[in-house]
Amino acid sequence: MLRFILKRIAILPLLLLGIVTIAFVISRLLPANPIASLVGERNLNNPEIVAAAKARWGLDQDLFTQYLNYLGHLFQGDLGTSFSTKSSVTSDLLSRLPATMELTIVALLIGTLGGIALGVISASRKDRFADHLSRFFSLLGSSLPVFWTGLVFLFVFYAQLGVLPGPGRLSARIEPPANVTGFYTVDSLLAGNIPLFLDAVSHLILPAFILGWGLVGTISRLVRASMLDEMHADYVRTVRAKGLSDGFVMRHHVLRNSLTPVVTIVGFAFGALLTGAVLVEQIFSWNGIGSYAVGATRTLDYPAINGVTLVGGAIFLLASLATDIVYAVVDPRVRLA
Amino acid sequence: MHTKQRSTRFKWRSLVAMAATATLLLTGCSVGAATTAVAKHDLVIARAMDLTTLDPDRGYCDTCQIVFTALYDRLVIVSPEDSKTLQPGLASTFTANADNTQFTFGLDPAATFSDASPVEPKDVKWSLERLANIKGSASYLLAGMSSIDTPDAKTVVVNFAAPNSAFLAIVAASYLGIVNSDVASEHGASAAADASTADTAEDWFLSNSAGSGPYILDSYTANSAVKLTANPNYWRTKPTFDTVTLKEVTDSSSQLQQLQQGDVDIAMQISPDALDQLKNTPTVTTAAVDSFNYTYIALMPGAEGGAPLADVRVREAIKDAIDYDNIVKTLVAGYGKLQGSPIPNGFEGSEKVALPSYDVTKAKALLAEAGYPDGFTISSTYPKIVAYGVDLDLQMQAIQQNLASVGITLELTPVDFSQWADVIGGKGTPITAVYFAPDHTDSSQYVQYFGLIPNGGYVANFASLAGKTVNQAEVDGLTTALAQTGAERTASYQALAQLMADDVNILPIVNPQLIMAHASDITGVTYSPCCNVDLGALGLTK
Repeated sequence: MLRFILKRIAILPLLLLGIVTIAFVISRLLPANPIASLVGERNLNNPEIVAAAKARWGLDQDLFTQYLNYLGHLFQGDLGTSFSTKSSVTSDLLSRLPATMELTIVALLIGTLGGIALGVISASRKDRFADHLSRFFSLLGSSLPVFWTGLVFLFVFYAQLGVLPGPGRLSARIEPPANVTGFYTVDSLLAGNIPLFLDAVSHLILPAFILGWGLVGTISRLVRASMLDEMHADYVRTVRAKGLSDGFVMRHHVLRNSLTPVVTIVGFAFGALLTGAVLVEQIFSWNGIGSYAVGATRTLDYPAINGVTLVGGAIFLLASLATDIVYAVVDPRVRLA
Repeated sequence: MHTKQRSTRFKWRSLVAMAATATLLLTGCSVGAATTAVAKHDLVIARAMDLTTLDPDRGYCDTCQIVFTALYDRLVIVSPEDSKTLQPGLASTFTANADNTQFTFGLDPAATFSDASPVEPKDVKWSLERLANIKGSASYLLAGMSSIDTPDAKTVVVNFAAPNSAFLAIVAASYLGIVNSDVASEHGASAAADASTADTAEDWFLSNSAGSGPYILDSYTANSAVKLTANPNYWRTKPTFDTVTLKEVTDSSSQLQQLQQGDVDIAMQISPDALDQLKNTPTVTTAAVDSFNYTYIALMPGAEGGAPLADVRVREAIKDAIDYDNIVKTLVAGYGKLQGSPIPNGFEGSEKVALPSYDVTKAKALLAEAGYPDGFTISSTYPKIVAYGVDLDLQMQAIQQNLASVGITLELTPVDFSQWADVIGGKGTPITAVYFAPDHTDSSQYVQYFGLIPNGGYVANFASLAGKTVNQAEVDGLTTALAQTGAERTASYQALAQLMADDVNILPIVNPQLIMAHASDITGVTYSPCCNVDLGALGLTK
């Protein structure tokens, strides 16, 4: 098992180098000019200002030199300085990553627990009203685009009903907690500030639900199908013949054995949720990696684009690694393969 | 076995109960959060921000204008009542010599920085030299400045090699705020000739300010919020609000919702369509105010594929084929005006230029005269953005339909701004659409950018089949205007406005009004062409 894990970890740096190189080359080959965002449209024709900007940001060097410089700094842990924020990309990412992780983790919890719950309801009440309702709800989550549901839910629950807060991680007039983990929910609890914690949690409800809703659909359908298969298995008939109640059989045998494929889905879903967070963060003014990535792409902020790609790639690879490990633990046949 | 089942059921029920309690708690708390006690002395503004730095000599954006004006007082300021009138700022007196090459400022003895130290001539000299030498985006404002003298403890003399009657208006621009040179220098700032490479203070300015404005920088989180606190040592009337937070809210509908819910006090980019919704909100005041911003299309014969535009009659035909009134009506719900030349309504020189009119018959006749009775096909690449409430994509689609009615097929290619810059820096595009907003209150900026002059804007690079084009009358006219003041200068800019209109390279499309929406108890929400909104002038009703 240890060897399996070490082998997977050993190839991570190479994969990350590949990701960084591809991101670097693609961003430079785009038919676009980052100088526009650095000097403004009005100065594009001003040779002195354009030359100063190019020199300052290293854009006056040839592509290969830029790449070597980038790698040189990268190996020292320096991801460069963002064109847009003028801060180091490392500090930008570190300050925004907790926001995205907090949103994504809560969305993952909602998606996974909600999906399992609906899957169980659907399977145990197959072809009855609860099953149809559950499948319809799941279908909506999988089908509706997050940018649409985000805007509609904001309009209904914030603007019209006023039962949930609007965009942002906290209410407009509330100060964030002292930074410890960057997770506002955790940091507010560490600070012993319950009103702040409740405010942070209330701001998570809409974006996390909208982000996790799609996963609810995926997992519920998977759990439903798996449970229906398991319910007809021989061992289930055997334990029922022993006199165990239906509920006990469902929870301790059918459900437990149906959850193995969910492990794989959850691992990959983490990557998908990170992707979805890009749109959700835009709609909910959530200052995370997703909104940072959007801004970087719009302005062709090379250092930020490369930084986001590197971190996104690393998270995705680590999530895949974690999935492989968990799956190997759950199903020993994987290690043999 | 039986006991275990009961135990498991108990756990499930407990979990369900806990989840239900948590849900109720969260729902309840959300209402509580929305009704959190509002400290009215903490002003919150919703805005789609374009900030990329807080260094006053490197910044160049609309939000920069607001923030810099609040943090850094200038030598002179634009009158809130009349944008053509300048008033004393840090300088209690300001004069120009007869040929507009030398400008003398007498500093107000009461003027102090936020650390209570006095504003001295050395700070003015250092600030202007840093802006010029750092070669940032706003450095162009000081082009031609030859030297700065500080003859005594309260006087600053700025010298130019050639007449520059625009300078006093330029000095009032938000980018020319005066920085505490001692404080900034301690943190790596440099005004030396090599400042573009030697200056290392930009990072420091992201979390600090060193000005003499009504506010000081409290904190800044890129793409999220800028928080300012009142300057306790402000040397003029103290600001009303203890803090002002500019909060990043990118889209108009979110700004509207947050204003209606009372989460923010001012929404700066409300769509004109939303005005009707706000009319039923008694706690919100709205106003549509004239702006000096506008969208335009540029016709560039020298760009690849632009040959049909070489004939001025074709450009005139395009001008006549556009239904401007309908575009204003559909794109900004009628909250906009037409504009005759690149010098916008309200600026010196704009007074006598005829507004464009929609005349399809005339357009067809002009096309026939030019040898295009059946029209032609031409391409247009433009940035896919919304500028001051005008969606350039929708604007170009409307123009595409208009031109189709005279036989011209316009092929639209909306792109990201950086891609557009790549096109403009390369082979160009025959027709593009962009926007323009003033940096200061002098009309020279429009001739410098849209006129067919050496070192002008991108349009001059493609203004004829020969490529780069110079209109000597415009070059001479600008030189003359910069040496004049008063009625003579107004006449020169009127002539320049007409010359640029006659070039028919720039067609202003919409001069949109700004929709100001704010809580009804907020006062002083006005628009200034140099500085956008003056946060120091905001107040509360008694």
